[in-house]
Amino acid sequence: MRLPRFNGQVSPLLPVALAPMALVAVFILVIVWVSFQSGTLGTVHSSYTLENYHDVLGDSAIYGVIWNTLWFAFSTVFFALIIGLPIAWLTERTTIPGKAAIYVIMTLGLLIPGIFVAMGWTFIAHPRIGFINRWLVDLFALDNGPVNIATPMGMGFVQGMNLAPLAFILTTQMFRAMNPMLEEAARTAGMSATATLRRVTLPLAGPAILAAVIYIFIVGIATFDIPAVIGLGNRVYLFSTYLFTLTFPEDMEPRYGITGAVGVLMIVVALVLTAWYGRVLQRGNRYQVITGKGYRPKMLDLGGWNWAAWGMIAVYALISKLVPIALVGFIAFAPYVAPPSLEMWEQLSLNNFYNVNWELVWRGMKHTLILMFVVPLAVMVCAFAISWLVVRTRSRGRYALEFGAFLPHTVPELLFAIGALLVALFVLKDYVPLYGTVWLIALVYLVTRLPFATRALNGALLQIHKELEEAAYVSGLTMLRASRRVLLPLLRPTLMSVWIWTALLVYREVTVAVFLATESNITLTAVVWSYWAAAGMTEASVVTTLMILFFSPLLLLFWIFGRRSALAED
Amino acid sequence: MISIRKLEKIFDSARGPVRAVDVIDLEVAEGEFMVLLGPSGCGKTTTLRCVAGLERPDGGSIEIDGELVDSAGGGTYVPPERRDIGMVFQSYAVWPHLNVFQNVVLPLTEGQRRIPRSEVRDRAREALRLVRLDGLEERPVTDLSGGQQQRVALARAVVTRPKVLLMDEPLSNLDARLRDQMRDELRRIAESVNVTSLYVTHDQAEALSLGDRVCVMNEGEILQLATPKEVYSEPPNLFVARFVGEMNFLPAKVLDAGHVESGLGAIECAVPPGCAPGSAVTLGIRPEHIGMTAGESAAGPRGQVLRQTYLGDALHCQVQVGEVELTVKAVGDAEYDRGATVTVSLPEKGWHVFPEGQ
Repeated sequence: MRLPRFNGQVSPLLPVALAPMALVAVFILVIVWVSFQSGTLGTVHSSYTLENYHDVLGDSAIYGVIWNTLWFAFSTVFFALIIGLPIAWLTERTTIPGKAAIYVIMTLGLLIPGIFVAMGWTFIAHPRIGFINRWLVDLFALDNGPVNIATPMGMGFVQGMNLAPLAFILTTQMFRAMNPMLEEAARTAGMSATATLRRVTLPLAGPAILAAVIYIFIVGIATFDIPAVIGLGNRVYLFSTYLFTLTFPEDMEPRYGITGAVGVLMIVVALVLTAWYGRVLQRGNRYQVITGKGYRPKMLDLGGWNWAAWGMIAVYALISKLVPIALVGFIAFAPYVAPPSLEMWEQLSLNNFYNVNWELVWRGMKHTLILMFVVPLAVMVCAFAISWLVVRTRSRGRYALEFGAFLPHTVPELLFAIGALLVALFVLKDYVPLYGTVWLIALVYLVTRLPFATRALNGALLQIHKELEEAAYVSGLTMLRASRRVLLPLLRPTLMSVWIWTALLVYREVTVAVFLATESNITLTAVVWSYWAAAGMTEASVVTTLMILFFSPLLLLFWIFGRRSALAED
Repeated sequence: MISIRKLEKIFDSARGPVRAVDVIDLEVAEGEFMVLLGPSGCGKTTTLRCVAGLERPDGGSIEIDGELVDSAGGGTYVPPERRDIGMVFQSYAVWPHLNVFQNVVLPLTEGQRRIPRSEVRDRAREALRLVRLDGLEERPVTDLSGGQQQRVALARAVVTRPKVLLMDEPLSNLDARLRDQMRDELRRIAESVNVTSLYVTHDQAEALSLGDRVCVMNEGEILQLATPKEVYSEPPNLFVARFVGEMNFLPAKVLDAGHVESGLGAIECAVPPGCAPGSAVTLGIRPEHIGMTAGESAAGPRGQVLRQTYLGDALHCQVQVGEVELTVKAVGDAEYDRGATVTVSLPEKGWHVFPEGQ
């Protein structure tokens, strides 16, 4: 294989591009390695074995976990699509007013962390403390609360609402790419409306919808935050939370070999699903008809149904985000977890704020800020190197690079977190003291945020005609000057949006932070989690409320600089 | 000024290596306007990009103004920014984040051939005057029309007063009328700055009108290197004959050194040496070399008008003569009815004879 070259020289960008891929490989390989180890890792007392797999598959617990995970993932897909798909159709194919506002609502929906919503839903529908249950029990004098969010399906409902914006974005692209002229052609060819739907529209939309289903399913089986917040306390385990309890057991030494074996199973499932996703997507892309200049899809006039459509969107926004988060805000000021009532209203106070360990919060804040600064910078540098080599060179090695940059997308981030944990504990422990530092978290974030940034930059670089750079070279500009004076100014809008988008996602990230957090590198979200896990619901609500307050100006920033390309890419 | 020797460039493709440039030699004299003409994929653009330093040859060498800039064997490679060249791209490639003036100035202030600050302004204005864009200095380039953008690109290419000006299909994105206008202007500008030009195009009209010499390429090889007049009147093989101008072709068999037998009967023409009697050849004649008169009064083969295409300055007629269908170009205001009987004349000098297997 020839290395990516520019005019015969190995590009200086190559090491920068390869570094994050090396990390990916190390994180994954260490999990595989650990899964075949027994005894004390990293010492002479360990040896190769298949015992871990034997133990995992022999334990009936894993089958319950698989069953729960499937239930959860299918519910997630169902609720995400049943909400996201109609809203996508409304914005792309009807005359519904305020389309920009719909995009705002959906983008914000994508950014508000599931952990916050999950806390709100615990307050709403937990079998014991959930408000709905308390009301129903009081009203009908029941013995138990009839509604239970702490089931795979209940949590799938919360995650489905959470991922509806993802379904929205995936299917808007489909509606946009699908040329209505194909449907019109069917009608003029003498087909009835139903025949057109059956023979043209659905077959055309099929691959894109299936791709969205698989994609959301992949995200679903890897979800940690919502099942952790709602399910762990009720001993309902999914793959992700099961891995968490294996890695951090409460009353015994962790058996990392078992963690590794479960992790390997999860990697295999994720890779298989991703391969399938890729194939379906390819089939879908074949259907994209090149549209001419005068391409204007005909919009369906909703007329009086506009109100109903907006009503549905408003209800979605309320149920999925506003009500749960308002409740978290309410609990932050309440003396204990109880349904909002007049009586409670009078007891609201700032007392909870005094119970919070502010030194801890401050530490979390500091680490979160460091990460928000360092990670986007590193992501951008690496993504630029990769994209430039992929888009601008002709070597066949570029396909390998492109695949390598996409790979982290397919592997759930909690596995990278576990990989990083194992590397820090057993591989690097004597050489590089990474365990318990924010840099360990930063490395995982770099890897997990890379696919999005690379794709955004690939798109932007493809838009910038190669000849613009070449014109700079033949004008006598060196590569460095050409980049500074021509390439970077042209890339600036994309770089800005990638920067802010990455920073926002770092701010709200929970899973990796929880797996890697110690006293010395705790982040804000990990602070929220540590309170929640220790049954400090009111304190967790206080910190969450503060996080949301800090979040708002950041969102504004994103809205001003970044929304254009970010929306189109992720 | 430009010496290309044994140039070779191979690209990897999904179907294995492709020889984009298959060992060519080319000398461009100082001040000469050389046009590389050929269909897409013939290697003309690759050749140009090798001269620019944007591609590295896999074999052979390139010299610009006596300086060796590429030598695949010797390992010499001068990067594009250190070659004394200017280049105009097919996509114009004007930098959209800069205005007209900034586009033209950048090579002078940031490039390897930068000049003292005090002279920059004058030099840039001079270049803009040359391409008739003076007065538009402060305009964002994205506000300009395609033709104006191409002028900016041209000004930017000549502002450093390079010895060599490279142009890669600079007119192909312009509409027809503008293209003719810019063609004349390009020639004027190249002459007025006395630059050696290498110009790539797939448009034969451009090639014939612009070039001092035209180099016709196909599949990485040079098929003919000659003046425009020679290229048009003496195509050495079928490919050039097909590619440059229009021509009627018909299969024939050699009778002797001065005659061939074809669907039009025995035809008197100059048979190239080496074509033995009895060997198969292809006959060619250009539409404008065929004479045509209405009716049967004149002497010569008779034909029927099948259909005609009116082009304004000329009339293209499809004429059935015996078993052969000929395209005839009639100049002037002649008109023929469909099915009308005409008499055609096929002058001996109009015939080209191409041996088979070319």
